[in-house]
Amino acid sequence: MIYLDNAATTKPDGECLKLAEKYYLSDYFNPSALYKGGYDVQKDLREARKNIVSVVADVQNFDLVFTSCGTEADNLAVFGGGKRGNIVTTSGEHSAVFSTVNELKQRGLEVRFAEINTDGSVNVNSLLSLVDEKTSLVSVIHVSNETGAVNDIIKISNLVKKKNLRTLFHSDGVQSFGKIPVKLSSDIDMYSISAHKIGGIKGCGALIKKKNLILKPLIYGGGQEQGLRSGTENVFAVKNFEYAANKIKYGIKSNYEKAGRLNSLLWQSLDKSLFARISPESGSPYILTVSAKGLRGETILHEADDCGLIIGTGSACSSNDKKRFSRIILACGISEEFADGVLRLSLSYNTTEQEIIEAAEILNRIVAARKEKMA
Amino acid sequence: MEKVIIIRYSEIHLKGKNRGFFERAFAVNIEKSLKGYRHELTRQSGRYLIENFDGEQSEEIIGKLKKVFGIHSMSVALKTKADMGEIFEACKGVCAACGSFKVVTHRANKRFPLNSMQISAEIGGKLLSIYKNLKVDVHEPEFTISIDIRENGTALIFNEFFKGAGGMPVGTSGKGLLLLSGGIDSPVAGHMIAKRGMKVNCLHFHSYPYTNLQARDKVIELAKVFSDYNCGTTLYIVSVTEIQEEIHKKCNGDYMVTLLRRFMMRIAEAVAKKTGEQCIITGESLGQVASQTIEGMTSSNSVISELPVLRPLCGFDKDEIIDRSRDIGTYGISIQPYEDCCTVFLPKHPVIKPNMSDILNEEGKLNLEELVKNALSTLEKIEL
Repeated sequence: MIYLDNAATTKPDGECLKLAEKYYLSDYFNPSALYKGGYDVQKDLREARKNIVSVVADVQNFDLVFTSCGTEADNLAVFGGGKRGNIVTTSGEHSAVFSTVNELKQRGLEVRFAEINTDGSVNVNSLLSLVDEKTSLVSVIHVSNETGAVNDIIKISNLVKKKNLRTLFHSDGVQSFGKIPVKLSSDIDMYSISAHKIGGIKGCGALIKKKNLILKPLIYGGGQEQGLRSGTENVFAVKNFEYAANKIKYGIKSNYEKAGRLNSLLWQSLDKSLFARISPESGSPYILTVSAKGLRGETILHEADDCGLIIGTGSACSSNDKKRFSRIILACGISEEFADGVLRLSLSYNTTEQEIIEAAEILNRIVAARKEKMA
Repeated sequence: MEKVIIIRYSEIHLKGKNRGFFERAFAVNIEKSLKGYRHELTRQSGRYLIENFDGEQSEEIIGKLKKVFGIHSMSVALKTKADMGEIFEACKGVCAACGSFKVVTHRANKRFPLNSMQISAEIGGKLLSIYKNLKVDVHEPEFTISIDIRENGTALIFNEFFKGAGGMPVGTSGKGLLLLSGGIDSPVAGHMIAKRGMKVNCLHFHSYPYTNLQARDKVIELAKVFSDYNCGTTLYIVSVTEIQEEIHKKCNGDYMVTLLRRFMMRIAEAVAKKTGEQCIITGESLGQVASQTIEGMTSSNSVISELPVLRPLCGFDKDEIIDRSRDIGTYGISIQPYEDCCTVFLPKHPVIKPNMSDILNEEGKLNLEELVKNALSTLEKIEL
């Protein structure tokens, strides 16, 4: 099997699972417990926090709140940060932010959506024009989960703060954490991440935040996670996340360059008469989104699956036209004809050149055959 | 004193010399629905009794029996000797301590020393003497205690009636083939026909890879729910991918639905003839969608050479169909967003009133026989 749907989830790293297994088998104590075993686990959690934060930020100024997933981290940021006035975000956000700000809209807050460019990145001028003295929160996705377009959050957050210093800046970093070389600046207040996108297991995410930032929690109870996320911590998943983060921490740049080479090879190997490129050349090398124009993405997904190639798609064979197309792909201004055939091919640092060559061959073959049948 | 379940049948009592045939099928279906539950089914005059079951399971058993066609109503009862002392003890067991009530007695054993009125009066009086907050209301009681004095020296005491599914025992009215789409309508159509005693098997058409495996699993789930009412069902699955591709490639796209439905009917008749079904059942409702016009139905009927096509929902509004699908438990599955037909093949302007010469002209562009044969070669069979 060739797995090119790593933007959906990555294969859990066996070594990291093995390392974390002791938190199930022997060190299973509640980290809030006062006896030695519990206190040791608490210290291990503290270590995990620092190690994970240090992948993208300075541990002196940033810490994190563990959550159950990236979506929960986004919810905590939006509900916790978007308290008054207006919220500015983009049309290219993942549903974890998009649906959450719409919920705030239902509750009476004003939500402003900045336009996105054809590659899925935010139109910075559009975004800045929406920020004013009443903007309490700006949320901009770091890497588009659909097109791989990278938003320069360092620059954007700086421009936002210049317009309104009191505005909180959040970025959904789920597709970028551990993949895109970046160091969070002091203009970024919150950054959402997820374990299972970098070889960790599902069920663990975190909101990296500036240390002095005061947020309102979503979940109340025993006051864990500085009172921001009550509930006994999932120590196994957190430590597994830490080990996965440690594993990639010093290889982000080299992995990025390798993914770039494979991404170029993949695009070069695809038959240009069959596929149109959606992803920008300057996007995340881990995502290549293309369109098999005139065909339905889901049809190709099933056929590829039957050939042992796992990929993602941007459209479904639903008869509901409104829901059939990706909201983000349409917001990019891409026509329905192209939007229908969207395929997302996403890599991990483990993807090999051989897999890329074989994947391209399979895609060229099945798309050509399907086009012939549908001609 | 023992817990029993009384099962009363519906239309079977109207049958004459062939009543035995219906009763046997009825008993077999009850046994099938209670497979896995310890019980003993006995026939008494005009009713059946379930005995020797685990009293803790009576609710589950009633739930199963609610899906057996032919049952008019059911009651969980206490069975005692036909003795006034024991009958009173049983009545105490089913009587609430307060509220209004009445006692109704049926006396099949006419040699019992007291008549029905006397039994009701005596038991009612005794209950009033021990429960001070109880009062009699023979017109609109809050609950009724029923006493049934049987001919075999026993009495049955109960205070509840559970409505059965009605209809006739499945298997007594032949065998049919339901075109099961995955939508709301077809399971309801199948349920209505099974209710009249027909054993219904199902045929589903898919167009993988244009549709997904979730759509297929959804249909299997629907067939499973339906199967509970139908004492089991066989689900046949046939791929129409090649047919859709050929129509898409060679014919006027506006005729896609009309032509596809004609293929489905041809395939359905071939499957039915092979497997012994005597009719084809569809969930069509007149005028509901573009293909369900009288012209559309005429067009799809005309490819069927022998078998009748039953369309039990023809006169139903969508709301009525939805209500029924909720009642039988298929609605929640039907509305899952997995379609059985890919939009890539759906015309923007389907032909609403197809005329036969245009249809034949379009079909002339296709190798009908080979396409049907190829589709039939994909037939899968799932026993549910």
